[in-house]
Amino acid sequence: MFCQPLRLAALVLVTIVTPALAAPLESEPIKPLPTSLNADPLRAALGRRLFHEPRLSANGAVSCASCHSLDKGGTDGRDRSIGFDGRLTGVNAPTVFNAALNFRQFWNGRAPTLEAQVDAVIQHPVEMGSKWEDVVAKLALDPGYRSEFARSYPDGVTRANIVDAIASFERTLITPDSRFDRYLRGDADALTDEEKAGYTKFKQYGCVTCHQGVNVGGNMFQKFGVMADYFARRGNPTEADLGRFAVTGDADDKNVFKVPSLRNVALTAPYFHDGSARTLGEAVDIMFRYQLGRAATPGDKGAIVKFLETLTGEWPRRPK
Amino acid sequence: MNHPKRRIYFAVAAMVAVLTSALAFLYAKTRAYDESRHFENLANLREIEHLDTHWELDALKSRVGINTHYDALVAASPEFHRLVAELRAMVAEGLTDAPSALEQSIEALDRSIEQKADLIEHFKSHNSILRNSMAFLPTAADDVLGLVDAALAKTAKRPAGGMRRVPEDTDDLLLAAFIYGHDGSEDRADKVEAALSRIDADTHELPAEVREPLDLFAAHIRTVLREHRIVIGLLNEISAVSIHRHIDDIEALLSDQFGQASIERHRYGSYLLAFAALLTGLLVPAAYSAIRNHGVVKRINRQLQDANETLEQRVRERTRELHAAQAELVDAARHAGMAEIATNVLHNVGNVLNSVNVSAGHVSGRVRASKAAGLARAVAMMNEHAAELGEFLTQDEKGRLLPGYLAKLSEALVAEQAEILDELGRLTNSIDHIKEVVATQQSYAGASRIVEPVRIRDLVDDALRMNAGSLARHDVTVVREIPDLPELPLDRHRVLQILVNLISNAKQAMDATGGRTHRMTVRAELVDEGTAASRLRLCVEDEGEGIAPENLTRIFSHGFTTRKNGHGFGLHSCALAAREMGGTLNAHSDGPGRGAVFTLDLPLTADASLKPCAPPPLPVPLLVPAAA
Repeated sequence: MFCQPLRLAALVLVTIVTPALAAPLESEPIKPLPTSLNADPLRAALGRRLFHEPRLSANGAVSCASCHSLDKGGTDGRDRSIGFDGRLTGVNAPTVFNAALNFRQFWNGRAPTLEAQVDAVIQHPVEMGSKWEDVVAKLALDPGYRSEFARSYPDGVTRANIVDAIASFERTLITPDSRFDRYLRGDADALTDEEKAGYTKFKQYGCVTCHQGVNVGGNMFQKFGVMADYFARRGNPTEADLGRFAVTGDADDKNVFKVPSLRNVALTAPYFHDGSARTLGEAVDIMFRYQLGRAATPGDKGAIVKFLETLTGEWPRRPK
Repeated sequence: MNHPKRRIYFAVAAMVAVLTSALAFLYAKTRAYDESRHFENLANLREIEHLDTHWELDALKSRVGINTHYDALVAASPEFHRLVAELRAMVAEGLTDAPSALEQSIEALDRSIEQKADLIEHFKSHNSILRNSMAFLPTAADDVLGLVDAALAKTAKRPAGGMRRVPEDTDDLLLAAFIYGHDGSEDRADKVEAALSRIDADTHELPAEVREPLDLFAAHIRTVLREHRIVIGLLNEISAVSIHRHIDDIEALLSDQFGQASIERHRYGSYLLAFAALLTGLLVPAAYSAIRNHGVVKRINRQLQDANETLEQRVRERTRELHAAQAELVDAARHAGMAEIATNVLHNVGNVLNSVNVSAGHVSGRVRASKAAGLARAVAMMNEHAAELGEFLTQDEKGRLLPGYLAKLSEALVAEQAEILDELGRLTNSIDHIKEVVATQQSYAGASRIVEPVRIRDLVDDALRMNAGSLARHDVTVVREIPDLPELPLDRHRVLQILVNLISNAKQAMDATGGRTHRMTVRAELVDEGTAASRLRLCVEDEGEGIAPENLTRIFSHGFTTRKNGHGFGLHSCALAAREMGGTLNAHSDGPGRGAVFTLDLPLTADASLKPCAPPPLPVPLLVPAAA
């Protein structure tokens, strides 16, 4: 009996508050990006310099930024990238943006951390081709680096500190405040109706079972070609196509790759580890065919592409 | 005396070191495995266990669709790494013995976590596929049914064969698949497979537009069958990876160790207690002996004080004795001084006797060469001619000369007598001088002095005269620079004695250079006339051998001489005499071969003559070998 006025009051309260509060969407499979990962600003500044430092490569031809251009969505727009001596890398360069939020690094997930990824790339025979002692020696000769390192690290220029500085910088390369994130935070007007419909389709068709979480992917492995053999259809199988198998040697891991993040996906064409999809539409088609094993109507596919374009975040020098 | 004491210190230091280290050892033993670390480890293990439970739960939630993303599953891995690393560090830090079992258990735990992570990765992949296919099944079935209906509508005849059975079989299959999806048992899987094979059997009878969606539906059914088995298998494997077991193992080992450590700690605690008791036991006799020692120290202190007082008395006595001895010594020194004075006096007397000798020689020479013999001859001649004296004096050639001769002779005799008288006067003077010198010695103790008005010029003349003989012998030119001075009150004999000595010294100094003519200057002047410091200055300057600088201060010492047959007390007595008169005697020389000046300064004020009787100490007599 006495519950009646209470319930009424609660109802009134909810009715008043709801439009004002624009409650965040809590139970969605995708979460908004954090605004910062709290990287040390001094070390990150040093890392930014190192990120653009061609002396990290054996012949001074390439820097991190050569393949992960901050002006091009954190990648280089090529199917496969060009290493320090002109040879092509095995896979398409994934974006460096939000890489800190991926659960593993590289397409085959062989690096558990950003630091391990930096360490591997510098020594990669195609990518940078350096020996660490040479890199450390070259940087230690530079008085600017010496003083900058001394400011951030008590032991100065070392392999571990170079790696740490670059990783610190990469932790600043997150792209919060995309329109979709604003929508998730409760701004219902951040998306158009078509984009909202695209998001619904994205969930309904099952894209979201792999591309979920804060990074819209990047937190699991998946076989490329679940419902059909992608590589047989594509042809020219390469070693890189084996994916995670190269790391674990487990037959179940053949053609298994890290599910890439779809953050800023509109800016990171071409798509897939082999860079075979030139456009988002093409990529969505391939995903439907080989991963979901079903077809989408052209309207649904268009809506999904529209939704994907709302995942582009904000950062200085972002291409419009 | 020193060594045994040092040995005792060493022994005490060693004992303190031993006791301290024993105490530190026992204390460390009781702290070896402390509780806070143990419970931190346990908390860590609990956290791992908790995380593991949540991990499994999250996997199940993902399986049933409560979790719509895998971020939670991903977040567990770094947490596990952190906790295991902490556990490792803590255990490595805290372990004392037999750590291998514990470390092996932690390794096994780490491996299990890795294994589970790997299984969960596979689970995620397969679960996604399963869920998508499951989600697609109703749509796929609807597509099939819709297309069957459309195909049937197109033909407008009764469905037959496969086409008749397809809708029903599709629904059956969908239902079987859903039941299987929720149940997961193998007999449900068999039912699904049976339904699937029924549809497969009919496929070839179907038109292409129906067969295509039916194939897709069947493909997803097969995917569900396959993936479901895998997912169930993975979930079973995941729960089979027993992280709990390893945690229990580690906990058992840690508790075991903690238990042992507690027992050990208790044991060492009792050792510590025993040790404390031992220390207390040691302390009691130490305290007892300290108290006793205090008594001993007090007694000894008292004794020391007594001894000290006795010692002081003895010191006083000794001091008195020493004073007496010193007085005796002073007496002895006085006697010695008197002996010195006697030597001094004899020397001075010797100097004057020289003059006496000269005067005596002079008188006897005069007497020997006296004209009195001529008188005797004249008288004898007159006696011969006594009879005819008148005639003889007037007639005789010789007699005529006689009166003249007598007159001359008497003149000569008068002169001679005067000369001898003169010389005798000098002799008397000298003898007076000797008398004075001797009187001086006699009057030494009383310092009786005769101060009389003296003319300086006379005084200098006297002094020169006393040395006249030798000055003439040594061809010395004496220059006197004596102004007309009034009579001055002086102790004539002492001044004379000093001057005689100085002149004699100057003469001898020039003697030593030989050859050329020598000049000596005697100068007198008044200095600071009219003031309280007014004094008479007498200088004796020679051109003799000079004085070496190192000897300038020593020449006044008793016994110092550079002459072969010198006594070394002439200048000493002069300085003494000058000081008795309140004056000073100084020597100056530009160096050997450049002559010397001796300056005697005598005060002219009345009170200056009153000086203490005891001679002030003079430089200690030095016996210097004659330099000659």
